[in-house]
Amino acid sequence: MGLWEAIRMGCEALQANRLRSALTILGTVVGVVAVVSVVSITQGLNRYVSQEILSMGSHIFSLDKYGFITSNEEYFEAARRKDLRSDDARYLQDHLTMAAAVVPTAHYTVDVLWEGRQAKDVALVGIGSGYAALGDEFDIACGRHLTYQEEATRRRSAVIGSDIAEELFGAVDAIGQRMRVGRESFWVVGVLKQRGAVLGTSRDNVVLMPITTFESIYGSRRSISIIIKAASPAVYEACQEEAMLLLKLRRGRQPWEPPDFGVQNSETYYAFYSRATSLFYLGMIAVVGLSVVVGGIVMMNIMLVAVTERTKEIGIRMAVGARRRDIMMQFLIEALALSSSGGILGVLLGALIAVLVNVLSPLPARVEFWSVFVGLCMAVGIGVVAGVYPAMRASRLAPVVALGYEK
Amino acid sequence: MSILETNNVSKQYQMGKVTVNALAGVDFNVEQSEFVAVMGPSGSGKSTLMNILGCLDTPTQGCYRLGGTDVRDLDDHQLSRLRNREIGFIFQTFNLLPRANARQNVELPLVYAGIAGAARRRLATSALDRVGLVDRTDHKPNELSGGERQRVAIARALVSDPSLLLADEPTGNLDSGTGEEIMRSLNRIWMEGRTVIVVTHAEEIARHTQRILRLHDGALVSDDRRPGDG
Repeated sequence: MGLWEAIRMGCEALQANRLRSALTILGTVVGVVAVVSVVSITQGLNRYVSQEILSMGSHIFSLDKYGFITSNEEYFEAARRKDLRSDDARYLQDHLTMAAAVVPTAHYTVDVLWEGRQAKDVALVGIGSGYAALGDEFDIACGRHLTYQEEATRRRSAVIGSDIAEELFGAVDAIGQRMRVGRESFWVVGVLKQRGAVLGTSRDNVVLMPITTFESIYGSRRSISIIIKAASPAVYEACQEEAMLLLKLRRGRQPWEPPDFGVQNSETYYAFYSRATSLFYLGMIAVVGLSVVVGGIVMMNIMLVAVTERTKEIGIRMAVGARRRDIMMQFLIEALALSSSGGILGVLLGALIAVLVNVLSPLPARVEFWSVFVGLCMAVGIGVVAGVYPAMRASRLAPVVALGYEK
Repeated sequence: MSILETNNVSKQYQMGKVTVNALAGVDFNVEQSEFVAVMGPSGSGKSTLMNILGCLDTPTQGCYRLGGTDVRDLDDHQLSRLRNREIGFIFQTFNLLPRANARQNVELPLVYAGIAGAARRRLATSALDRVGLVDRTDHKPNELSGGERQRVAIARALVSDPSLLLADEPTGNLDSGTGEEIMRSLNRIWMEGRTVIVVTHAEEIARHTQRILRLHDGALVSDDRRPGDG
């Protein structure tokens, strides 16, 4: 009997029992959907995050009191540390040899008002005047940057994000307007270019002011972070080493001691992110593993039922000349046809989910070729594993027993 | 020349703790182109004998030679080939595949003989033509009468042109008129030069044959050759 013949027969048998066939492949479908959709979404997330991290600027790092906190213990340990102050930033500014910019930043959240209009929960950033060098996220759409002069004289000047410009001023030119930031009055001198949102949070709901002005209003006793841009990518590592060494010595630590402050750069973000996604992947493997096992068991059971139900058919086929091999092949191919249609259905559903995520969320989910491949291989694997034993049982029947003669 | 030969063929079944002797040392030969009836009351071992002759079952003791070959020496591959090419089997309950139509049922032996699509269809159609069912090729078994079903089964048994036709109570599920018709078909098949062995417990069926083997309790009690008409 030819292979084609066997495939045709297998498909006929499956069509004869549509509902059962559909239930049989459910486990396989779930497994394949999980692989295809989760891989698509995670890969989309990866691309998205690496884009965002890259847009931070590749040779920029920041120093702060806390660093990347991932547990309560870390937080309590970090909270006992000495604060970072703007004079630390000035010290680094004066002593670093490989830095293009040293920019202290401090953060607060306030409401901003102009002529009865209000923007709520605005991210207020006190920032050193060198910030323009940090990258295109500080590009100005209109007006001008904050100047060193304004920093030195603690001027109440502000550069606002595009969200604020729109919410408060609308069609009115914001430049030169006087607005209320918290209880203080500020001149708007510039508007930032639109930066967009990260994971649904707008980065344009922001007001920049000189760090000195910030400290004169909100006090200088809060811990700041210091953003440092290396002079070139080549000295990026060295620049970080130098900054850490200088800051350790200034804070009374030995060079070989671990720092009592945090260093953050795109790698630390990425490391944290990879740790988070690896958990995601583990979860996925568990789901897939479970559905493969369940799918396999369900399928083997149904195939065994099919063999029992069709004992007579097996007998008839043997009586007219089917070899054991032919019977074995017939049931194995049926199992394979079942599981691979489950695989194809799973791929289609998984791809549909990926497309929906792509359309309905900011994640650029894309169906990965390898996940389709893995999904289909998985489906075929289930078919083989679940089909072999029932097929063997079928082929080992004695013709006379299969035909149902009473003994 | 003997087409088949049994030599002290015995078959025992284990039914729980009881051993049943279905066949107890049966010896006979069947010559090429004989028309033989195997008779006996139910439980006499007729069907068991038939299954052994048709290579669906193997004897517990003794030796069965088909075309000079001891079937004990054959593996599954060779036995399947025998069932496929040399033996046509007709059952009391027809044993057609319910989901397949008449033509597909008749094609089944050819599928396992490795004959491809168009040739297979042609052979199956001509086999159905010979049993007068050429206008029923697309009917499923449940759309056919009992007699028609048995004729489809005959077409299936003959489609690979076997030399030996075994019929196990072929008229058992049919009314006497239809049964008579089936027996006339078997007679025609025999006249074409094939060896036909038919199991029955009805004398009027056996009347069509040349020779009657009678079984009782698994043993051969008589072997009557009748001259003449068939």
